[in-house]
Amino acid sequence: MLKLLIKKEFLNALRDTRLQVSGGILIVLMLTAVLVGKQGQNQLQKERAKAQSAMYDKWLNQGEKHPHSAAHYGQFAFKPKPVLSFLDVGLDNYTGISVFLEAHKQNEILFSAAQDSNGMTRFGEMTASLVLQVLLPLLIIFLTFNIFSKEREEGTLKLIHAQGLSMRKLFMGKVWGTYLMVLLIFLPVILLAYLLLDRQSSSLDSEVLLKFLTLTGSYAIYFLVFILLCVLISAFAKNSGFSLLTLMGLWIASCVILPKATTNLADKVYSTPSQFDFKNTVKSKVKNGIDGHNPSDERLASLKQEVLDEHGVKTIEELPVNWSGIAMQAGEEYTDQVYDAEFSKIEDIFNRQNRFSEWASFINPYLAIRNLSMALSGTDFQHHVAFAKAAENYRRDFVKKMNKDMEVNHKPGVAYSDYNVGEQMWASIEPFEYDLPSTSSIISNQWRSVTALAVWLIALFFSASLYAPKIPKL
Amino acid sequence: MLEAINLSKLYGRHEALTNLNLSVAPGEVFCLLGANGAGKTTTINLFMSFIKPDSGQIKVNNIDVSTQPGETKKYLAYIPENLSLYGNLSGLENLQFFVGLGGSKPDKPTSEQLLQSVGLQEEAIQKRVSQYSKGMRQKVGIAIAKAKKADNLLLDEPTSGLDPQASNDFAQLLQDMKQNKVAILMATHDLFRAKESGTHIGIMKEGKLIHTLNSNEITLTELEHLYLETMKTDKYVKAAH
Repeated sequence: MLKLLIKKEFLNALRDTRLQVSGGILIVLMLTAVLVGKQGQNQLQKERAKAQSAMYDKWLNQGEKHPHSAAHYGQFAFKPKPVLSFLDVGLDNYTGISVFLEAHKQNEILFSAAQDSNGMTRFGEMTASLVLQVLLPLLIIFLTFNIFSKEREEGTLKLIHAQGLSMRKLFMGKVWGTYLMVLLIFLPVILLAYLLLDRQSSSLDSEVLLKFLTLTGSYAIYFLVFILLCVLISAFAKNSGFSLLTLMGLWIASCVILPKATTNLADKVYSTPSQFDFKNTVKSKVKNGIDGHNPSDERLASLKQEVLDEHGVKTIEELPVNWSGIAMQAGEEYTDQVYDAEFSKIEDIFNRQNRFSEWASFINPYLAIRNLSMALSGTDFQHHVAFAKAAENYRRDFVKKMNKDMEVNHKPGVAYSDYNVGEQMWASIEPFEYDLPSTSSIISNQWRSVTALAVWLIALFFSASLYAPKIPKL
Repeated sequence: MLEAINLSKLYGRHEALTNLNLSVAPGEVFCLLGANGAGKTTTINLFMSFIKPDSGQIKVNNIDVSTQPGETKKYLAYIPENLSLYGNLSGLENLQFFVGLGGSKPDKPTSEQLLQSVGLQEEAIQKRVSQYSKGMRQKVGIAIAKAKKADNLLLDEPTSGLDPQASNDFAQLLQDMKQNKVAILMATHDLFRAKESGTHIGIMKEGKLIHTLNSNEITLTELEHLYLETMKTDKYVKAAH
């Protein structure tokens, strides 16, 4: 019975010229978005990998110099473009792509695409995610707004009911029939995306595949949620016009107004300090101590005494190690401590803002798929922070290595300019590499969005089962 | 067997049907006559459980429609006045869909034969219904009802819009069903068809069944006269109160 209903809904929609045209346009849009997105992602990834390699070569070939000079000479870390980012650019256009790593300073990640673009970037790029999250639901609305009301208006609903079919079965037939149609539109996009991934075989490891499959599954659930919602509204709408108006209102609210309102509200509730304030706080705490009562000169004096006591000497000239190296590393570590404390406060605020949006998924499924899609494509805040932390850890490691070399090998009494190291030392620092968060860590971070989608699905199936028998037949 | 016992239906304050009592036994054709708004379609809608009665009882093969609406559908076939089908599907696909909903699965040759038996041209069967005339759509509806082989048939002005030939074919179909002991309740404006096809005739006005006649006991002229007189005066409605 269900098969018969699905077949009818599917055939009826498939033969509708308006839907053939709109569905065709949507498929072309999505395929174009995927192709263009992939091309852009390949190009950016190549550029970043090339830049990363060129900067590392520059590091290796910086010539002989003092290790501390090398720590100031610094390195660059380029954020790799995640393989799946061609499906969803997420925050990538607004977060920077590279950071200069040097001694004493935690520099900002700079050069976001938005900085180089005009205001249109704010309206969003034509990406597969935009089409799948925003435009495909619009097609679902056109497929379903009169799925019941038209039958009621034309009288076919009476004839169906006369055959003894329960409204519950009819409802589910319409849902699955529409779903089949939507999957037919979704399938070419997924196939193309998979083929493009497959061609890039070196990157298609099991993690990427798992993320891709999870992303595909999430979208499939999102479409089903949207279809259930639309069919339910259509079933109880007085007429097709009212149904269309309601569904369009719902679409505008969920895809345009609520996401913006959620972001603004989250920003209002959990406001972030400006970058200027952040930097000033770090600077002040480094100078005056974390508690404000431990100035840097006192810390330095205390450390000096500790080192002298440790080596049983009275002056730094008598030390068997280089005092400057020790002092610089201690300064680094204190700055790191201050930075970590301040950065974790900022990270906490951003996380709270993101959690706010994730909780809002329970009232707007669009937010659930938007968050999940960005996360699985590797373009959300979690990925940006993961890159920032990886780059900062890399900076700390290489600066520490430079300071250690200075402490151990730069003998006291030897002039700064007389102690130099070369390529062997530079090569001991491995090139910067960054591993994307795993699928399990993404899912555990996004559990609210995953749960919200599941709750929407279950609640809608439950509502359909409960209310379908009450669908008016006349 | 179709039965309505003290059946009433209100739309707001408007009494669409008041204490209707009627019974259609197997092999009988009960034709309901009346002006628009007399309650004919409401009666059929109640039998089909499209709407719920405010009081009274409706039975199909002795099964209460209010308590077992799904069960009674097994014994009912229905043809509405303006039969709507799915324009993007062919006549054959529409037939197979609607008959399939009832649980049976007629194969393609059987379905084609059914459609041809109600007068649909062979070349029209595979065409999309959006290209059909009203009469052709009505024929598909008749084929759907016929395919169900139900004990009872409810018809809501089924010949409206049919050409004389199709109308005549339809009358023949009713005769066949009558002989097969199908209980038929038909709402119609067509006095001639009611006299020709009906075994019993009911004249309704303002939600009340004013007259119940045996069609063998009245001529067409008498029926016409009675009908017009009933429509003109209020005395029957008041008397029914």
